Amino acid sequence: MFKLISITSLFVVAVLSVFKNVYAADLTNADEIVSKANLVSYYAGNDGRSEARMLIKDAQGREQKRQFTILRRDREEGGEQDFLVVFSRPSDVRNTVFLVAKKPGGDDDRWLYLPGLDLVKRISAGDKRTSFVGSHYFYEDVSGRSIREDSHQLLETTDKHYVIENKPLDTNSAEFSRYIAWISKANFLPEKIEYRDENDTVYRRVEVLSSALIQGHETVTKSKVSDLRSGGSTTLEFRFQNYDLGMDQAVFSERSLRKPPREWLQRGQ
Amino acid sequence: MKSKIAQARLIFTVVTFSLSSLLYAADDWGDDAWGEEEKQGAIVHGFIETAVGSRVSDDALISDDLSLAEVRARVEAESYQGDLRLSGKVDLYADGVESGLDIYLREAVAEFSLADNVDVRAGHQVLTWGTGDLVFLNDLFAKDWVSFFAGRDDEYLKAPSSSIKLSAYGEKANIDFVWTPIFNSDNFISGERFSYFSPRVGTQVAAPNGKLVPEEPSESFSHGEFSARIYGRSQILSGRSTEWALYGYRGFWKQPNAINSNNQPYFSPLTSLGASLRTNIASGIGHTELAWYNSVDDGGSDPLIPNSQIRFLMGYEQELISKLNLGVQYYFEHILDYDALAANDGGSIYRPDEHRELWTLRLTYRAMQDNLTLNWFSFYSPTDQDYYHRPSVKYRFNDQVNLTLGGNIFGGEQPHTFFGQFEDASNIYARLRWSY
Repeated sequence: MFKLISITSLFVVAVLSVFKNVYAADLTNADEIVSKANLVSYYAGNDGRSEARMLIKDAQGREQKRQFTILRRDREEGGEQDFLVVFSRPSDVRNTVFLVAKKPGGDDDRWLYLPGLDLVKRISAGDKRTSFVGSHYFYEDVSGRSIREDSHQLLETTDKHYVIENKPLDTNSAEFSRYIAWISKANFLPEKIEYRDENDTVYRRVEVLSSALIQGHETVTKSKVSDLRSGGSTTLEFRFQNYDLGMDQAVFSERSLRKPPREWLQRGQ
Repeated sequence: MKSKIAQARLIFTVVTFSLSSLLYAADDWGDDAWGEEEKQGAIVHGFIETAVGSRVSDDALISDDLSLAEVRARVEAESYQGDLRLSGKVDLYADGVESGLDIYLREAVAEFSLADNVDVRAGHQVLTWGTGDLVFLNDLFAKDWVSFFAGRDDEYLKAPSSSIKLSAYGEKANIDFVWTPIFNSDNFISGERFSYFSPRVGTQVAAPNGKLVPEEPSESFSHGEFSARIYGRSQILSGRSTEWALYGYRGFWKQPNAINSNNQPYFSPLTSLGASLRTNIASGIGHTELAWYNSVDDGGSDPLIPNSQIRFLMGYEQELISKLNLGVQYYFEHILDYDALAANDGGSIYRPDEHRELWTLRLTYRAMQDNLTLNWFSFYSPTDQDYYHRPSVKYRFNDQVNLTLGGNIFGGEQPHTFFGQFEDASNIYARLRWSY
């Protein structure tokens, strides 16, 4: 009898402690949640490589495709980082290379290499919220919007999500008046983001369609952005992702614009 | 020659009709998109393009109203042999205006690394550097002005040259050194497709009588072209990443603007030194560039050889409103030793001004998910009182097919100025391209 009670009480204690852990894991500070989500989404490992392809659909169902490889290296966790995007398809953007030095809190440095003219073109930091190579993604979606550009408020904590409202500090810097992010409590991936205009109408939605655990990092493998005004959408798939490959800072230089670093672009490192 | 051109025009007509039927072709990649291309051997791409352009008014000197009528088939192949990259681009084309059926080698290069931080790119290649938007100071690599004026794709403005490029990369700075063993001039306006103003004759001229046939420099090591650039990025302006560069060139003027003792145009020797900066300013990009063109006419007294010049450029571009970008540039060319030139050219009424200024404006608007691009580029010179407008509209039907409509509109107060002389070259054009 005594034994049974003690087992029962052990069980109760165990269950309670599990619950306690769950409750303890519920964060209440919006900035902390957003900061974790930012690290999970854009800073996994010290560096990373992924192949990607996009399927761009317009409202009439016409399709276009883009295929590219992304390399990333963090200079500082949660801070400055570099991206190199090398296009392979379609043939009119083949060998076009995009380089970004991301500087949260400052102006990003961005370059585009156009192989037909052997031209290294610098792109202004201002037009980050414009279409990334004709897709419904913005340049800023690829390299990540700095979390310092918005104020964050925790609206709600559900079973699975932290629901965060984000408002731009500089209202002229973005086309939205606010956006709501559903951030997974389990892995901190923003599973759904809805952008609202000045009339508070949702006009743009970004969703994670699938993710996988890669080298211990929860990683998006498929996402979709929908333009609810035009009816168009872009699906983005990632494959062959690796982290902590040991890339050097020199990979993210003008040299790589003209001569993309095959060592890192090829699969199977 | 005439029959070759007639043949080219026939091919042009047939291909244009068959290409039009491809407008809404399916756009499947037709294979496993995730397949790793390099393991499939050489990667082959290219396009077929048909283009037609017409003068907007008659040129009394050239009977043909067509400024562009051609079909072009591009084949591009790329292959890796270990760390050696081989790349070739060839155009087969039927040109109904100038040359009939022809082959154009765009690129044939081998790229490899000599050491960890030293790259070599050898062969027929397009080379570009400098900060200007369609204004070139320290970029003395060959340009194809005939293609540019006729409305071919922008990429043809940069002509390829057979060169060896050596690039070394360091922590603080990088160095490019380019050797072009045989001088490669611009593809200048020679009077064949477009007429030009000849200051020697004092009137507008065209082929056959007015065809510009310059004397080429003889081939020797010292008659090659040597170009160098030292460049890097630094935080010299309050934490912004600023790109800086120093340039040097030893070769020849890229246009035949000197006259020899046989009264024939030739390319006189030129050395140049320059520098540029480019950085983020406000929410846009600012750039500035300086070049000193040192001609062989020391003192500037020989009117048959161009004088030395100082060239200066500054520009700024930014997004005005969403999807609309504006770029403005101010440029000047200052002729050195102008008094000596003026004292020795017999009071020529066609003598260029001592100080030539040029403004450029670029407006780019993208719509329909970037499938539609409206572009306007203008050159305007307040000192020459002439202009060159380049409007264009490009529509991308799908990943394979796009259509470009545009114009090249020249004009000016006087018939002999830089852009004014090309008033009768003003044209509108259409290009339909199918890429594979």
